[in-house]
Amino acid sequence: MRSAARGITIALALALAACGGTSTTGGGTATSYQGKTIQLGAILSLTGAGGVYGPSSKNGADLAVEIINNSGGVNGAKISLDTKDDASDKAQSAQVAQTLIQGGQLLALLGPTLSNSAVAVHPLAESFKIPILAVSTTGINIVPNCNAPSTVPCRYVFRDSLGEETAIPTNIKIYVAKAHPTTGVLMVANDDKFSSDGGKIVQNTVGQYGINLVDTVAFSKTTADFSAPVTKALAKKPDVMFITSLGGIPATIMIEARKQGFTGQFLGGNGFNTAKVSKQAGSAGAGAESGSAWYLDNTFPSNAEFVKAYRTKYSSDPDQFAAQGYAAILILADAAKRANLTFSDIAGDRSKLRDAMETVNIQTPLGPFQFTSTHDVKQTVWVILMDGKGGFNLLASVNPS
Amino acid sequence: MTQQVLNAIFIGSIYALFAVGYTLVFGVLDVLNLAHSAVFMLGAVITYSLVALHGMPFLPAAVIAVLVCGVLGLLIEFVALRPLRRRNAPPISALISTIGLALIFVAIVEQATPGTLFGWLWQDGANSVRFPAGTVPNPTYHVGGLTIEGTKLGILFTSVVLMLVLGYVIRYTQIGRALRAVAENRRAATLLGINVDRIFASTLFISSALGGLAGLLFGLAISDIGPYIGRDQVELKGLAVIVLGGMGSIPGAVLGGYLLGLIEVLAFVRFGSNVEAGVAFAALFLVLVLRPQGLFGARLRERL
Repeated sequence: MRSAARGITIALALALAACGGTSTTGGGTATSYQGKTIQLGAILSLTGAGGVYGPSSKNGADLAVEIINNSGGVNGAKISLDTKDDASDKAQSAQVAQTLIQGGQLLALLGPTLSNSAVAVHPLAESFKIPILAVSTTGINIVPNCNAPSTVPCRYVFRDSLGEETAIPTNIKIYVAKAHPTTGVLMVANDDKFSSDGGKIVQNTVGQYGINLVDTVAFSKTTADFSAPVTKALAKKPDVMFITSLGGIPATIMIEARKQGFTGQFLGGNGFNTAKVSKQAGSAGAGAESGSAWYLDNTFPSNAEFVKAYRTKYSSDPDQFAAQGYAAILILADAAKRANLTFSDIAGDRSKLRDAMETVNIQTPLGPFQFTSTHDVKQTVWVILMDGKGGFNLLASVNPS
Repeated sequence: MTQQVLNAIFIGSIYALFAVGYTLVFGVLDVLNLAHSAVFMLGAVITYSLVALHGMPFLPAAVIAVLVCGVLGLLIEFVALRPLRRRNAPPISALISTIGLALIFVAIVEQATPGTLFGWLWQDGANSVRFPAGTVPNPTYHVGGLTIEGTKLGILFTSVVLMLVLGYVIRYTQIGRALRAVAENRRAATLLGINVDRIFASTLFISSALGGLAGLLFGLAISDIGPYIGRDQVELKGLAVIVLGGMGSIPGAVLGGYLLGLIEVLAFVRFGSNVEAGVAFAALFLVLVLRPQGLFGARLRERL
């Protein structure tokens, strides 16, 4: 176990060194940050509806911090990560962000977990000129228009999580190519940004693939008894059921729909992509298909090493959110390495880090990683199926165009 | 549509069971016990913890959970209500202190850390754990296009039987008579030799046991257990139900429960989720305007 961890540590250190080496400016060697600390903050939903995702993001990020620190840090500097829970609440999220920012020492922030909260937190980070990297938000207008409806791009907001605008259409395209469904019904939580954005994307996409959306059943994210919504959705006997919702709700809907005799296909997006949801859905979820940012059994080295280290540290499998949290730290570490930080002028350092983030080009568990010109993720989409036992199988991979 | 009415009856019986305990305390003590929804949540949480983490079969786990909830009722009485009563504090103080207890109960579950009784909270996502499949046998029947689940039938049966038993106890037994006497006039009951404090304690015990039972049945049928199910699913709705039925009236709470279930489901089917709660509370408002004493609150002097 120990030797495995050390192997990974060395591999990672080499990878980081290689990245840094190619892009260091000036004298050919990186500025030494020996004895310094790169202080990062994270606003994550460890409890509440986002509690299905936040703890995974935290585990992934913590793991990356540990590995980097154990392998000599970032040009000698240690990373410290201060994670705060926002309880999945938008107002609390903004308050936590405010506290973290006003501490004055943080170089960059991660989070928040939910798109709904990002609407409040990202503009705050933008106005304080502190780089913020979203690790799980997938709604519309997270980047670059964090101040939507204003179309002025936010300069300090980035995300490493695959947006629903990419994930959902890719998934529909792949499914339609093999199954040719004609009717569909959409189940959408309409009081949550992530969910309702997903719903809009489904509505805007199905037409071009010849699917007639026969009904849209909206419900609240606090709904617990789904018998009535599912009965309504199944009344029109659809071929496929699209579910865009958070937390355990997709699993609850799948179980209820199967009980009520639905035999068609479930299609979704990021809401499906945790082992927890797959596990909760159990056999009812078998075959449920979604576009994902990550796939557990990918064998390329940056993922295999991550999965192995994660299993060693937490005795469980990582999920997409853990992979994105882990990738986020690699991204920030790579940018920090190249940014010639001063550790005295925090505003200047934040600005330098921001500039360096734009040119990140590294290997992560998500695959080769770069930002687009709008600070969004540019990566492969992995189309996956729930296996009915708490895991996923890979159906197809679609490279960025 | 028939399926939707069935859906309404199933959820309605949980509302009814919850509201019966809620209204019982109000009827006897003249205090709104706002910790009732937290006890509801704990009923589900304790049963789940015993079943999923300690491998206990469902039935004994449920019995233990119901008893624990009953004891929590005593805790509410001894910590939040009795000391205030001793000081002749106004009912609003008691209401506030029950809110405090509710917050504490929720926080205990919310803050659970791995390895403790409530450690599951961090293992499976905060607001949606469910009983493992096969905890109780759940045969699902498909009759003429209708889906009927075994567990939901069981819940309907349990609720109706318990509410009948409670009605019988209150009407025809010694303790029931004492309860009614206390509800009618506390001082007169004391003069008649009734131990009022003991009646209060029994009321809280019965009420909380019922609340916990409603919670665990909710967790079983709806597959959703977490720290906020009391607050999100039954706190305000339960209040609406007992106002609808007439504060302190048990038949009123039962009828109100089923009525709210029906109104909600029909409003959802007809108008969608945005107005579901709105329609339910508009109906409540209408009842209050037309019949301020609630559906069953006519004979205000005779309660329960």
